[in-house]
Amino acid sequence: MVILENIGCAVIKLINSFADIIYFAWKILIRIFNRNTYTSAMRTVLIDQIYFTSVQILPIFLMVSIAFGSLLIGVLFLQLKQLGLTQYFGHVLMGLIVTEFSPFITVLLITLRSGSAINTEIAVMKVNKEMSALEAFRIDVINYLLVPRVINGVISIVLLSTLFSVVLLGSGILFSSLIFGMSIDAYSNVLLNSANFSDIIIALLKSIVFGFFIILIPVRFGLQASHELTSIPIVVSRGMVNVFAAILTIEVLSLIIKLF
Amino acid sequence: MKREVKVGLFIVCTAIIICVALLYLANEKGFFARNYTFTLSSQSGDGFTEGMPVEFSGFTIGKVQKLELNDKGLVLIKIKIPQKHLKWIKIDSTFTLYRPLIGAARIIVTTDNLKSAALPEDKIPEVQIVNDINDSIEKVQPLLDKVTQIAENLERVSSKIDVMAGKADVHVFGSEGTMPQVNKILKDVNGKLERLNPTVDNVNKISTEASEGLKDIGILRSNVDDTLNAVEDVAKGVDSIISRKKEPEIKLP
Amino acid sequence: MRNFIKNHPQQAALVSIDIPLISNQSVLMNIALIKQYHENMPTAKVEPIVFNALQRLNLENIAYKRNPDLNNEERFFVMLLRAVMVRNALVIIDRPFKIIPHLKNIDYIFQALKNIEDLYVNCNIYDYEWMREKYGELSK
Repeated sequence: MVILENIGCAVIKLINSFADIIYFAWKILIRIFNRNTYTSAMRTVLIDQIYFTSVQILPIFLMVSIAFGSLLIGVLFLQLKQLGLTQYFGHVLMGLIVTEFSPFITVLLITLRSGSAINTEIAVMKVNKEMSALEAFRIDVINYLLVPRVINGVISIVLLSTLFSVVLLGSGILFSSLIFGMSIDAYSNVLLNSANFSDIIIALLKSIVFGFFIILIPVRFGLQASHELTSIPIVVSRGMVNVFAAILTIEVLSLIIKLF
Repeated sequence: MKREVKVGLFIVCTAIIICVALLYLANEKGFFARNYTFTLSSQSGDGFTEGMPVEFSGFTIGKVQKLELNDKGLVLIKIKIPQKHLKWIKIDSTFTLYRPLIGAARIIVTTDNLKSAALPEDKIPEVQIVNDINDSIEKVQPLLDKVTQIAENLERVSSKIDVMAGKADVHVFGSEGTMPQVNKILKDVNGKLERLNPTVDNVNKISTEASEGLKDIGILRSNVDDTLNAVEDVAKGVDSIISRKKEPEIKLP
Repeated sequence: MRNFIKNHPQQAALVSIDIPLISNQSVLMNIALIKQYHENMPTAKVEPIVFNALQRLNLENIAYKRNPDLNNEERFFVMLLRAVMVRNALVIIDRPFKIIPHLKNIDYIFQALKNIEDLYVNCNIYDYEWMREKYGELSK
């Protein structure tokens, strides 16, 4: 009986948490599409956020994508050559690397760097009573603090994952000529033939959804901090676990959409 | 550089990369090309699907956009051809629905005279249907008949071979067959060879005495020659007997 | 105090230890935030206003500092400047000696209020009864 009760409790908790996130996402979404949200203060925060999330890490991000991407493409092309699957390299490059791998790696990098930072930042602000300060001056916390962060997540993930794809396709030119002895013309032709417009649109949409949730969830859990300092690590770890669950869920959903 | 400028630069540059990539892809895939619609007709809509490719000389030049049924019960097939492929569609072009045994069905355009006038959009040519499955079955039918005939022939031949093998058995191994005779001949040959032995001994003797009896050699040699000729005759006899006995085996129909 | 805020919800501008500065923003942005949010004033337009206000209290050198780097007086004045940025501000100073504990009397604060008196409509100071003597003449 106790086990059943525990299972029931866990399921109810899970459903409540999921419903809470969806309701919160809806609230944020409404604000995103409301013109009044975009005040000068909000725009300043948005620019700061994009600067911290994307521009500041751009050199490191590019280096990581060149190193990681080249390594991956090199290994993949060698494997394809060894298995005699050279004719599929275009499909592997477009279908796997550009539409699946790039958004995924970008999301992981941004979650690790900015997701955790935003989760902590919001929790610390809550503990410091800075949220109450904003409310005392009739500043809407959602409009001023949360919406710019979520929009930043969407913009950053879409743009950075595109950059990642471009870098990967660039190293593809190098490796295709080294491993397959392929010219740039032949390479771009193969890419064009295997590029599927709907796949690219799905990849872009997936990046948008990723960007929305990997910031929204840390923000939501950050807001759950109490006025005690000890609540910060608790909400941060809970937030990060939930972000990774969300990443996995979105990946699975996008796969299902692709199947149909 | 101010933070705002850096952010703006980043967003603009990356957005340009995305837009250029998407536009390039769309252009290469023919999203911006002007399309022309032609209408074809068919007695039956069987085998036609929307999105089916239209091919010219093995290259896809367009696709089926829409299928309609008109008041007379004719199926109207609207095909979409981009401007760059318009030159292949002429007034005397023939349109054939080709349904291969393996692979997707397609409409094949054949234009004999590329100099003739372009096909007006309001003209409705009829689609000929080449049904690969039925055609194949029709083509395969006589082949199947032939195969059956061959199989029957083979059966007959094998039964004949059976009978002949029986006969050959009797001829070869029977009491009057080749093998006992060969045995007999071999015994004869053995006897003759045994008889040859003293002669060979003589030859040996003679050879030892050769230095002394050089004069007798001619006579002795003719003797030996005679004997050898006799052996050869016997061997020929054996050969002829064997070849005669083998004849029925060779004469297979 | 609560009733006062309730009666003037749009003008009430609190200066209190319980209403801290936003720690991840500079002094400049903390003060500018009010006009940027309520009046949608562009940053370029609001920055001179904030600098002008800081100059009046001789605090322009702390414009780019953040909350943890400020001393008690600086923190109090930044909170005060943030409050006066509210349109037609009715400034409410809640227990000022909690923000600047080492202050001997209210004169120092009064002087500052006088320097920026055109920026607000009215100012009310709330404190405990037993702090009366720190307010000197005013409390009579």
